[in-house]
Amino acid sequence: MSHLELGEVPTAREIRRFTVLAGNARGGAGIGAVVNDAAYAVSCAVITAVLAIGAVGQLRESLPRTPAPPGSLSLAAVAVSALVAAAGATLGLAARLGPVGLGGPEAAWWLPLPVDRRPLLRRPARRLPIVAAVVGLLLVGFVALGVLGDDPGAAVATAIAAGATGAVLVLAAGLAQSAGRRRPARAAGDAVVAAAPVLALALAVSGAGSSSSWALPWWVAVVAVVLAGAAAFALDARLDRLGTPTLRAGGSVVTQAAGALVSFDSRELGRALTDAGTPARRRRSAALRTVRGPVSALVTADLVVLRRSSWHVVQLVGTALVPVLATRVPQLAGVGGVLVAVLVAGFAATTATAEGARRAEASPALDRLLPLDARSVRQARMVVPWLAMTAWSVPVFVAVGMWAHDVAGFLALGLVAVPVWAAGAVRAAYRPAPNWDGPLVATPAGALPGGLAGVLARGPDVVVLGLLPLWVALGLRTVTPTMLLLQAVAATIAVAVGSSTSTRTLLERIAGEPTTDAGGRP
Amino acid sequence: MASVVLQASDVLVGYGGAPVCAPASFRLAPGKALALVGANGSGKSTLLRAVLGLLEPMGGTLRVLGEAPDERAAAFRTRVCGVLDDDAWFPALTVREHLYLTARGHGVLGANDVVTGLLEEFGLEQEQHALPVALSSGQRRRLLLAAGFARPRDLLVLDEPEQRLDRAMRDHLASRLIDEKAAGGAVLLATHDGDLVQQVADRAVFVSDEAVEVLTPAAAAARIAREPR
Repeated sequence: MSHLELGEVPTAREIRRFTVLAGNARGGAGIGAVVNDAAYAVSCAVITAVLAIGAVGQLRESLPRTPAPPGSLSLAAVAVSALVAAAGATLGLAARLGPVGLGGPEAAWWLPLPVDRRPLLRRPARRLPIVAAVVGLLLVGFVALGVLGDDPGAAVATAIAAGATGAVLVLAAGLAQSAGRRRPARAAGDAVVAAAPVLALALAVSGAGSSSSWALPWWVAVVAVVLAGAAAFALDARLDRLGTPTLRAGGSVVTQAAGALVSFDSRELGRALTDAGTPARRRRSAALRTVRGPVSALVTADLVVLRRSSWHVVQLVGTALVPVLATRVPQLAGVGGVLVAVLVAGFAATTATAEGARRAEASPALDRLLPLDARSVRQARMVVPWLAMTAWSVPVFVAVGMWAHDVAGFLALGLVAVPVWAAGAVRAAYRPAPNWDGPLVATPAGALPGGLAGVLARGPDVVVLGLLPLWVALGLRTVTPTMLLLQAVAATIAVAVGSSTSTRTLLERIAGEPTTDAGGRP
Repeated sequence: MASVVLQASDVLVGYGGAPVCAPASFRLAPGKALALVGANGSGKSTLLRAVLGLLEPMGGTLRVLGEAPDERAAAFRTRVCGVLDDDAWFPALTVREHLYLTARGHGVLGANDVVTGLLEEFGLEQEQHALPVALSSGQRRRLLLAAGFARPRDLLVLDEPEQRLDRAMRDHLASRLIDEKAAGGAVLLATHDGDLVQQVADRAVFVSDEAVEVLTPAAAAARIAREPR
């Protein structure tokens, strides 16, 4: 019981204003510096947009104008499938992020106040739907206008419909959050992503996928915008139903994910988004009956991690369908299209298989409990990616073999190449934190630290270089015994590189700079 | 004023469908203090979170000021104050501004004077213009406690308030809580400090996964003394 005299409670706007003004008073940034930063950001955004428009236009010109025969897919059908996947990813991501949340300080110091929560939450509730709308508008605008070359009016209508749909999806996740149904919303988003490649296959099989234009009529855009407005109104009315735990959880994920984005740490980003959906408790612990020693303990642990992450299994299956689809789309079924599809989808699949290694890198204490040196730990952690990528390679290289009229050859080459994927996955998982000490490099998108590229390339470098025989075989559309032999040699080298504990980049090794090896322990 | 501030009948709390302790039954009247004691992980903080409306009980009946706890209601937030082990601060706001935000945000008249008094009382007057990041962990704990007293309340809920406090500040906290009771306020605290229990609490509840027992403060202090160090 307090003897405090009470007057009128301030409004949410006054609370927010007090916090912002008090913080700005010692922010150290004058109006000149703020204007300068804003002008710099705008100019970088404009240059990036111009470069993107140019690249899209060039891509459109370079694509062959081949009509899609029956049983194959048009580029437009692939774009629609990709947009369905993007819609599912938007819903899943929004549900993982909250989407309404408050950072730790706001949650700790604002939420216990007896002020009306609705105006306090209005700004964070609007942020993600607006971002989704802008991204959807621009992305689909580029695809419809730039790649598909649709009629400008129809392309604009499609872009507006996509932007509004993006906002609707995020707002729907917000409504699910207010009803305490974040997990079903997340699962629905993941299911839509998984359904997208199946949709593309269905379009190909049914013959409906040969249409060259998928632009939407204006009325669809109008309906989508009306829906977005209604969803925004509904969410606003339910903001006061959001409790502190869900707001805090959402804010925590957003803060962690934003920190990972700013520091270019894709592993941390993955952890932030994965942990957001992980239940706090399991019904029972795994029996781990296959553990016979330290190596089998690591392999078993990695298998359990993969089995418990349904999203990574979906990612593995979904990425396997991408090269299969690329061989079915006339515009993509050239050497370049298939090669890029195998490379990008393959690397995305490997990242799904190395969750155990990424977790171990973040908290190496558990690895240190085992009587294994760091090199052996990395080699043991390649086993699960190896097994998973073997399963991934079978449908992929059967499809590629059908495309190249050499199924047996490409299947054999794909299986010999599996260790390269595994090595790349583990090398990427154990890459050191980006080096921010180096000089900044000016790029059209703004200044970036020079050491960043060297760190981010760890993993993809092994995949790109270690699969050179495969790339050559794809280019020639044939597999020879020499290629198989060279691929086996490259795989052996890749495993050696992937299990190395050196943290130096390739350039540092060439320059002979002092070693910063992790030592004998992981 | 209700005759019972807090009433718990066979309340079961936990996470992911699994309870963390046995069903708990206890009550707390105005002007009284109840201490929750038990080993680490026994469920004391989880019970506090349920009382603060931050966690839905899995079973039983829980009434705070006559209603099911719902921290989304502004009236609940005015009358129930929770001081948990939160270590989140506005990085650009000073110690004084954090306290002022709390007091003013609750509509306290003369908030500046109230804050000045609390800064002095909790030994933070030298650090009033410092940012929280510059404080020691004990000073940050004192700031959290001061924030709890900078606002109106009928029920004060404290999670291990003795943590990171020196002996003198622990004694001061005990006398502050005794004053709180004398003014008609109710205090619910989870603690591992047997002295604090004996000084402040009128009853204690021993929380474990086997049974939740109501004890005298002396018996609770004896149980704490037997806890593994």
